[in-house]
Amino acid sequence: MEILAKLGIDWKLLLAQGVNFAILFFVLKHFAYKPMLDFLMKRSERIEQGLKDADTAKEKLVQVSEEEKKILQLAREEAKALIAEAEKDAKERSQKREEATEAKVAALLLEGEKRLNEERVKMLDGAKAEIAGLVMTALEKVLHEKVDSTKDQELIARMTNK
Amino acid sequence: MEISIAAEKLFTLGALPITNALLIGGIVSGLLMIVFTRLMTRLQEVPKGLQNVVEVVFEALLDLIQNVTQDKKQALQFFPLIATIFLFVLFSNWAGLLPGLGTVGIYGEHNGHHTIIPFLRSTSADLNFTLALSVMVVLVVQFTGIAALGITKYAGKFFVSPLHKPYVIGTFVGVLELISEVGKTISFTFRLFGNVFAGEVLLTVMLHLVPYILPLPFLFLEVFVGVIQAVVFAMLTLVFLKMATVEIEH
Repeated sequence: MEILAKLGIDWKLLLAQGVNFAILFFVLKHFAYKPMLDFLMKRSERIEQGLKDADTAKEKLVQVSEEEKKILQLAREEAKALIAEAEKDAKERSQKREEATEAKVAALLLEGEKRLNEERVKMLDGAKAEIAGLVMTALEKVLHEKVDSTKDQELIARMTNK
Repeated sequence: MEISIAAEKLFTLGALPITNALLIGGIVSGLLMIVFTRLMTRLQEVPKGLQNVVEVVFEALLDLIQNVTQDKKQALQFFPLIATIFLFVLFSNWAGLLPGLGTVGIYGEHNGHHTIIPFLRSTSADLNFTLALSVMVVLVVQFTGIAALGITKYAGKFFVSPLHKPYVIGTFVGVLELISEVGKTISFTFRLFGNVFAGEVLLTVMLHLVPYILPLPFLFLEVFVGVIQAVVFAMLTLVFLKMATVEIEH
């Protein structure tokens, strides 16, 4: 006990120091370590989650861009096909129109020819009749006599056959 | 120049004599509580200033504890005690290095001499504190061991029947283990006290020999010693805790 006193050990002080440390321990445990560690853990979880999210986002981006490429390719092909078809269609249509025009023109020409022929025949017939009349009057005048129908016929035949 | 192994009494509060070491212990723990609780109320997602430092220290400490225990749950269980020991011992060691410590005080009578009784003295340079802390740590170690293994298994570490395999040797080792538990207390007590007290004495002597420049390297040395002793105390506590929770294999 003498040595303890010489070293300054006093049970009251011992207890006081112990209590002091215990108070510090409990206060820090509840108000410092727990909130701090919880906070750190939550944050590291958040960071992990964020990194994971970033990874999935990157993957999705790659996926989406690939899909986009595919869709674009498809669209391009479709467009090409559409254009080709339209071109073909247009060609066909213009050909048909040409043909139709040609046919119409041909028909018109044919009709024109026919009508011309008819006209000519008619004109010829008219001319023939008129000439015959003229000849008859001329003959009458020359012959001074009425040509009857038999004589007339005879004369006409003789004239035209000459 | 007065060097006293015992902490000097400043005044008495009721029946409790307030020594300078107890005073600084109270101040250090009070400051720690204030700083930490205030810091916790304004934790920020993006740390700044002090929060950064605290985060780094806590994470490093937790990592270290986890490395020793190899068990996350156990690491979290041991963390508060280890961290408190580390912080309190560290800052009370460093408190002994503040200028004015050991020289500013009340003029009074101590051990029959008229001398200056310094206001402040490192808490670790008082056997009352180191002994109290050691006893608490050793008790916590025992309880942790009992809680982890159960009382019979834990007691089996110390009381080994002489009729089994290693026979008398096992019994003898058990008794030695029991003695070493008491030894732990004493070595804990005097290691911390010795280092810090010696440092203070060294600084005082140097200061009296050459007041300028010369004490500086020793001051740096004492800063270093303060960290080392805090780490040693905390690490030994950690190792003892871990050892207490591990079953010994026969």
